[in-house]
Amino acid sequence: MRLNRLDLIRYGRFKDAHIAFPMPAEGMPDVTILFGRNEAGKSTAFNGFLELLFGFKGGAHPYAFRFDRSDLVVGAELDLPERGTMVFRRNSKRTQSLLDANDRPINEAILSGALHGLTRDSYEERFSLNEKGLREGGERIAGAQGDLGQLLHAGLSGLTGMAQTLDSLAERADRFYKKRGRGTVLKTGSDRLKEIGRELRADRLTTERERKLRHDRDRTLADFETAGAELRQAYQRQAASKAAEIWYDRTEEMGQLTEALANFPHGPNLAPDAAERVAGLVEKIAAQSIRITEAEEEIVKLDQIIEDHPIDNLAQPLTTELDRLDQLTIAGAPLMGRASTARADLDRRREDRDKLRQQIDKALVLLDVPDAPVSTVALEANDLEDLATAVQECLTASLSADAAKEAAEVALAQHGKAPSEPQDLAALRVTFDNWKAVADMPSFEVTHGQALARLTKVTAGLPQYWTDLVAAGLPAQETLDEVSRDWATLTADLASARKDLEARAVELVEAQADLTTQEAAPDAVDIVKTEETRRQREIVWQQHRGDLTAETAEQFEAAMYADDSARAHYLTGAEARQRLLAAQGKVRSTEVRHQTAKTRHDDLIAQHDRLSEPCSRLALALGLKEGTPTSAFNARQQALTSAAEAAADLSNAEKALKDRLVQQKGARDALTAAARPLGYDPAQGDLPTQIQRALTLEDNDRNAWAKWQDGEKTIAELDNKVEQARDDFETALKKLELLTATLPLPDCSHEGIRAALPHLRSLQQLYEEYKKLSVRIGALEQALAVLADSAERLTRVLGEPENEAGADPIHIIDRARSRQTLATRADEKRAEAILQRDRLDRSRRRAETERQDANADLEASFEGQGGQNLMPRDRVEKLVERDRLRTEKATAERDRQKACEGIDADLFAEELDRMPDATRATELEQALQDVQLTRDSARDAQREADRLYREAFQAADRSDLATEQAILLEELRSGARQAAVARLGVLAARGALRRLAAERRGSMLRDVEQAFLTMTTPAWTGVDVWTQTEGERLVGIQPDGNTVPVEEMSTGTMGQLYFALRLAGNRSFAREPGPLPMVLDDIMETFDDVRARAALQLCAEIGATGQAILFTHHAHLVELAKDCIEGVAIVNMPD
Amino acid sequence: MRLLVSADIHLGSPIRSVALRNPELGDRLKQAGRDTFVEIVDLAIAEQVDVFLLAGDIFDNGYPDLKSRAFLITQLARASEAGVPTVLIRGNHDALLDHNAHGDLGANIHLLDKGAPTVDIGDAAFHGLSFDTAHVSKSFLPDYPGPVPGKRNIGLMHTSLDGAPGHDPYAPCAEGDLMAHGFDLWCLGHIHAPFERVDGPVLAVMPGIPQPRHFGERQGGTVTLVSLGDGAPEFERRAVGRLGFSECSLDLSACSDQQEVLRNLRDGLLTAQVPGRDVAVRLHVTSDRHGTEFVTELASEVLDSIDGVFLDKVKSVPTPHQPGAETDDLVRLMREELVEEGFRQAALQQLEELRFSMPSEIADELHEDSLDAFLEEAIAEVSLALHARTSQ
Repeated sequence: MRLNRLDLIRYGRFKDAHIAFPMPAEGMPDVTILFGRNEAGKSTAFNGFLELLFGFKGGAHPYAFRFDRSDLVVGAELDLPERGTMVFRRNSKRTQSLLDANDRPINEAILSGALHGLTRDSYEERFSLNEKGLREGGERIAGAQGDLGQLLHAGLSGLTGMAQTLDSLAERADRFYKKRGRGTVLKTGSDRLKEIGRELRADRLTTERERKLRHDRDRTLADFETAGAELRQAYQRQAASKAAEIWYDRTEEMGQLTEALANFPHGPNLAPDAAERVAGLVEKIAAQSIRITEAEEEIVKLDQIIEDHPIDNLAQPLTTELDRLDQLTIAGAPLMGRASTARADLDRRREDRDKLRQQIDKALVLLDVPDAPVSTVALEANDLEDLATAVQECLTASLSADAAKEAAEVALAQHGKAPSEPQDLAALRVTFDNWKAVADMPSFEVTHGQALARLTKVTAGLPQYWTDLVAAGLPAQETLDEVSRDWATLTADLASARKDLEARAVELVEAQADLTTQEAAPDAVDIVKTEETRRQREIVWQQHRGDLTAETAEQFEAAMYADDSARAHYLTGAEARQRLLAAQGKVRSTEVRHQTAKTRHDDLIAQHDRLSEPCSRLALALGLKEGTPTSAFNARQQALTSAAEAAADLSNAEKALKDRLVQQKGARDALTAAARPLGYDPAQGDLPTQIQRALTLEDNDRNAWAKWQDGEKTIAELDNKVEQARDDFETALKKLELLTATLPLPDCSHEGIRAALPHLRSLQQLYEEYKKLSVRIGALEQALAVLADSAERLTRVLGEPENEAGADPIHIIDRARSRQTLATRADEKRAEAILQRDRLDRSRRRAETERQDANADLEASFEGQGGQNLMPRDRVEKLVERDRLRTEKATAERDRQKACEGIDADLFAEELDRMPDATRATELEQALQDVQLTRDSARDAQREADRLYREAFQAADRSDLATEQAILLEELRSGARQAAVARLGVLAARGALRRLAAERRGSMLRDVEQAFLTMTTPAWTGVDVWTQTEGERLVGIQPDGNTVPVEEMSTGTMGQLYFALRLAGNRSFAREPGPLPMVLDDIMETFDDVRARAALQLCAEIGATGQAILFTHHAHLVELAKDCIEGVAIVNMPD
Repeated sequence: MRLLVSADIHLGSPIRSVALRNPELGDRLKQAGRDTFVEIVDLAIAEQVDVFLLAGDIFDNGYPDLKSRAFLITQLARASEAGVPTVLIRGNHDALLDHNAHGDLGANIHLLDKGAPTVDIGDAAFHGLSFDTAHVSKSFLPDYPGPVPGKRNIGLMHTSLDGAPGHDPYAPCAEGDLMAHGFDLWCLGHIHAPFERVDGPVLAVMPGIPQPRHFGERQGGTVTLVSLGDGAPEFERRAVGRLGFSECSLDLSACSDQQEVLRNLRDGLLTAQVPGRDVAVRLHVTSDRHGTEFVTELASEVLDSIDGVFLDKVKSVPTPHQPGAETDDLVRLMREELVEEGFRQAALQQLEELRFSMPSEIADELHEDSLDAFLEEAIAEVSLALHARTSQ
């Protein structure tokens, strides 16, 4: 396949761009140098070529920035084996993207066949090489350790990571499994699996485990039941032993009791309380005997008392009389209570009554009615108070009437003359306010003046036609800012670029001078020069051999010296050559930098020129001259904007002033119209002033009018009060008159009554006291008469002589009372003694009865019992003891029988036979404890077995372990496959590489050696292959015959070896499937000229069998290529 | 009459996927088998079915644990208390259902076997047989009772039917014979992928494994509801289970960069997402540049932001070789190497050494019969690794 032309129709930055690859002349190598600066689109072109061959890649396209991905199209003219020249186009569609020149779909098989089925990746790997690939490839093949197969494979395929790949696969396999490896994935996983397996087996409730657990549970249950039976048996034996012991002991006890009972009286058992009862009866008989004796002695004493207090026969009549006397009362009080003081009290009260009568008479004189009966003048207390109230009311009413009359007269005097009634000014106030709102004119005039002054000021520096500029539209601030910023940046960049260019020029001159100096140095001769001098020497030698003249001899001598000198200098000039190379490199780099700086400077000048035009337009638009600096733009734009604003302000102020004048006239007309009906006349002065005054005084007028109206109301109210007071006074007088109608007083007016009131009050009190005292004196006189009568009757009852009738009645009554009291006391004593005697008599008889009953009971208690010779207490004590012994015997019998209840008869008989046995109980207790322990152990074992059985079903499911086990197995399964695949892959690859070495060593090794020597002569003289146990290894041969393994070569040499391998691989491919274009992207960028020449010669070798395309941005490489490769085509990248 | 048909519960048998290395998922799914069975019982109760049918393989031979039997009894008792009786038969994994060894299952739980092959519930007669051995080569059908006249006849059978790939032959039975036996409905078990067969008024239902345990069972995750009315039986599959498996195949060979690979992976893996259910994805990638490990890393990164989708396994294979294309020398020579007797001996030795070190459960993974397949993978792996290394 050959690429004749690449068409970048719509691709990257290119549109309808074409790159032609001229066909070489007959016999010339097919090499094309595609020259273009950095970023000229070389990578774009290569990518376009790949996409033409293999189709567009999916996803976002890196070159779809000018055209959409869907619009991208590349094309090419290709020479295809057996098909000739064909034109192709490729778009970005997923299907049928390969088209012919007329955009008709073409079968992909045409291209893929020509490409021998290579994929894009493998084509790139095999048929492209760049500087980075060359460098890294050199480094990577070191990993092959010289393995011939790997090196040849790298040359063929372009894949350099074989050693690392095989190592990586082997490592992967070793990580998973390695013989005797401890930390491998397989070992760790297997260990964990075993652990999980153990845990799961321990946890899993299998049938066998369940059966075992169930068996354990049943067995322990049976053991438990057996132990329980033994325990019960031990308990029974122990119980039987205890029962036998009791039986034995009780039997002994019963024998002793029978013997003791023989010494006690016969007879039945006493009642349970017989002892207490007998003791009680004995006590009772003794106590009753004492009670009888004491009662008889007391009765004798009481009979004596009765005899000492006989009955008084006068007591009854005295009591009757005295009771009657006690019933008598004087003025509600008992007579006897006052009898002793009545006589002296009566005289004193009679004197008091006489004194009161005299005071009453004096009072009547003071009231001017000395002869009037006191009862007609002395009023009751209530009447007297009514009279005083009526007098007071008369006085109060009179005073109120006088005060009201005086207030009415004062108010009338102060009222004054009525003011005029105020008018309604509301409408007038509204119109006045409207006028006032528009009355202010000076502020508008001031604003207008200020706007005019500002306009004049801001337009002072502007041209006359500034209004035209504003009308035409001013540039936007952002535009001015952007242009100013761009201009400033560009100016600064331009200055910087100029400075940089100057510096680069100086650097270039210095580098060129240095190069000239280094080139002039004799030691700087290079290998080419030595070859040239050698060739020259050979030519001159041939001439000299032919001619053998002195001239040719001298020429030969000169040539020989020149050659020797060149070689000597070459041998000693390594440093000089290095310096020369450095100087050449520096010149190249400074040239590049100078060129870059110049390009940048030129670009900036062009940009500067382009920006000048909009700057001029903006200056004109702002009324400035062309060429005005952009720094002035902002100030002028600001001034024009301010002028436009000032003009607008002035216009607004004028309009506002006119509008205000119109508004003011209308408001004044409305004010005049509203004022006339209210009596305001412009003829009487300034109308607004009149109205303002009236509106100001409106509130005062209204207040005065309201105050006068309030005074009128007050006067009327006071007149009403005067009338009311007069009516009240008349009413009081009438009431007084009614109260005094029956009084015989000479002056009954309210003033006369008022003067008589103190005397009337005194008379009323005196007359009341007088009446009370008269009543009391009458009562005392009556009491004294009754007492005398009663004393007389008592005297007769007592049988005293009549001559003593004149004695003090009080003394007689006292004697009668003494006699009565003595009689009463004797009656009481006698009655009490009789009662006491009766009680004691009854008590004595009762005691006698009880004593008889007790004696009978005592006899009954001992009925049928022996021991009659004993006192009751001793007898009963003996009998009680007898009964106690009998009870003990019965208890022993009961205990004996009870002990046998529920006891196994055989065991009991066995144990009874052993009695007495002091150690038997301990022996059985120990046996019981032993059996108890056995039973408890069996019970615990049974419970544990039962628990284990139940918990085995209830235990948590260890599905986490089962899951981990499953995951681990999956991981190991997968890991094992990967490890096996890796290990087998390495095995197969190593075998394949050995085969490759054997297969290719003949033809390809020669190509490698030739290419390697072309590049490395004279440092290397050849390559060789060593056969070792681990395979064949490539080594380099140095001029002295030394062999150097590949991994010990320098980095540069390994890069050259890799290049040689790739060229050999390419040649090999070209020989068998057929040639394909080989693209080399600036691979000689870091080569010195010698190596670059060598590399270019190798490119020519490629071009001899196929097509070589070399991308470069280095002009000197172009020159070198022209020099080295005959007929090389130089093509520039399109713009 | 409404029936819920299930089979092949395999209680105790865990999910076998590396996806469960995800701690959250692992914790969620460690009881997946039991949780799914609870879900099925819940469904039977919620749907108020008349009978719950289990056609064998309730347990798993590989995980014999009577705790699972206790769990089964608890769940079926729950169904019974809710008025849903259960009829079940033993499968080839069901030694734990042995009455003689382990006692009755409980009230309203009918285990059919040769001694009691039929139980009547309502107007239906349920017939089933359980055999004790794990491998049965003859058909059970001749031993089944005939249909009971006047009743609906429903059969339960654990069988590989006419044979199914991936399943041991167990009581194979010709489908035609089965459908002609005279029953109205056959509830089958043993094959883990669900299917139904209809022959006139007769329906046979293979409900599938309710909780798939690995990628090979990805068609499972189902039970079947059957309605027996006047006409032909009607059926409805219902999805159950906590984890599903799916496959995602992506061709990444056209991807120009890693971002595009990530985009493709994300788009592909998103399609595996199933609402309300976790999914383990087996990812197959075609690429000449990206090896399995690298794709696994990228896919894991992508899945961090996709809920409910987890990686089961990743496999990256190179683009298939075009016919007539120039073969890489290495690949060509490796193929030549493979047929060499010496090489094969060495390869077998390597395989054997590794196989002997493997746990016995998975040692067959490296069986010598698989050598050729391994070698094919090995060639692809070397090629892929070599290109991938270059591209990095």
